[in-house]
Amino acid sequence: MKKYFVIICLIISLMLLMVIQNVNALGLAPGRTTLEYEQASDTEVKLSVFNSEYKQMSVKILVQGELADYITLSETYMNFSSLDYSKEFSYKIKLPEDLENKPGLHTAEIVVLEGSEEAEKGTYVGATVAVVSQIYVYVFCPGKCIEADLNILDSKEGASLDLIVPVINRGKMKIEEAKAVIEIYSGEEKIETLETNANPIEPRMRTELSAQWQNKKQGNYKAKVQVFYDGEKTTFEKEFSVGEEIAGVKRVWVNDFVLGGIAQFRILVENKWNKDLTDVFANLIVYDAGHNEISNVKSASENIPALSEKELLAYWDTKGVEQGEYDGKLMIISQKKLADNDLVLRVNENSLEVLGVGQVIGSVEGEGIGITKLLIGLVVILLIGNIIWFVFYKRMKKKK
Amino acid sequence: MMQMIFLVAVLTVIYFAYPKAEAIVNGNSVNFNSINANVIIISENPDFSNPSYINVSEKNNVSFILEPGEYYWKSDNGIIESWKNKFTIKSEVGLKIKRNQSKENESELVNIGNVKLNITKGEDGVIVGHVILSPDESEKIEDSGNYTGRQTE
Repeated sequence: MKKYFVIICLIISLMLLMVIQNVNALGLAPGRTTLEYEQASDTEVKLSVFNSEYKQMSVKILVQGELADYITLSETYMNFSSLDYSKEFSYKIKLPEDLENKPGLHTAEIVVLEGSEEAEKGTYVGATVAVVSQIYVYVFCPGKCIEADLNILDSKEGASLDLIVPVINRGKMKIEEAKAVIEIYSGEEKIETLETNANPIEPRMRTELSAQWQNKKQGNYKAKVQVFYDGEKTTFEKEFSVGEEIAGVKRVWVNDFVLGGIAQFRILVENKWNKDLTDVFANLIVYDAGHNEISNVKSASENIPALSEKELLAYWDTKGVEQGEYDGKLMIISQKKLADNDLVLRVNENSLEVLGVGQVIGSVEGEGIGITKLLIGLVVILLIGNIIWFVFYKRMKKKK
Repeated sequence: MMQMIFLVAVLTVIYFAYPKAEAIVNGNSVNFNSINANVIIISENPDFSNPSYINVSEKNNVSFILEPGEYYWKSDNGIIESWKNKFTIKSEVGLKIKRNQSKENESELVNIGNVKLNITKGEDGVIVGHVILSPDESEKIEDSGNYTGRQTE
């Protein structure tokens, strides 16, 4: 009997070893550092390398790109033990003076490569990963010049669209007024012309110009954007789609929750498409305060008929979980990711609230007086008080 | 003397009426802790164009997740609007290769960072392909060569 038990245990262990996933992982922050030419010279930038799998590994660090010759690394090689989650290194930039005469974007890359003894000996055949931290150095133009883009918010069919034109003043002079005209085309036909608000932009600063489009129809569109700034103009085009969201989470709730037990998440998913969705499942990831994944659960797969709703169930074992707020991510997947929602889970002894970014409200009325205005007002009052007091004092003196 | 008393009185009123709030950044999440503010105004632009308004009048502790970038914020309590503050959500690029030992050649490349990645595949120093992955997205890959991830946009 004992012999059989040992054999079964050995077989199970062997099977477990077979399915254990061998993982390579590497992280780097920040992914990009943006600097102005004036501040970039003699700057030291710190980077963190993450060993999220707590693996014993080594990494190589190298610099490449246009500005590579002007960057000095503090380390070119790092060793991680299975206890190290992250390590820091830095680089120093010393830019040439003649770069000031070349306005625009200049770049370099810090590459962190995963290494291993096997790879160095040439005996390792599997894939390896590398991550890059980009360095963007902007040299500002002597006059007025801008960088602009177009972002579309809430591109859902039948709703009004917010068209946002972020504009960055890449020049050394203030732009008194910037505004944009957006022409929207469906195919070759121009169907709408929109004008944004106008804003001034201080040198090296960013603003957003916006316009609303009362769109009713799903489809692909092209926007021709003209940004006018103090008598000058920049033009660009961008394509965008409306009504592409296939599925969405309508509601998430948890009933009869007790901390330490298993929380049942009831996720109501809407199929907004005119076709059936097959093998749809929900994937809920919960993070701790350090943004480390503490749970990653999936619901069973379901088929959702066209233009209908279905409830998916996912279970989170809260054994060992403490009361508090946890960040979460809820994804709806059917072959590819259909919806992605950031959540906050508020865990109490007897309740679990699921919060989205629902605290954001549309507008606010009755804003307070700016503190700067208030202090200016105070100085003016004191000034007037002093003048009155001075005049009064002079008159009193004259009377005497 | 009278001026001094007046000044002290005004500064005391301002001190108590000034909307006090703090922003604590942790990874992609920001937590606003308000003492006497009603609304937090937050924008990606220093001139507060296209701001979002966060109601903190009922709950004085609000957390939410933001995309990496620089954000400007100020608090308001209906009497005074605070000075401008700033915080940064750092971008993180991260790649993971998951291998299933039981099934040969079944490997998956996962974006474990918080930004969209442009991933190039190199073999012997030559780029032989590329894929774009959003955070948490994955793609089945051949288990050979080097995969390099860099932030897009």
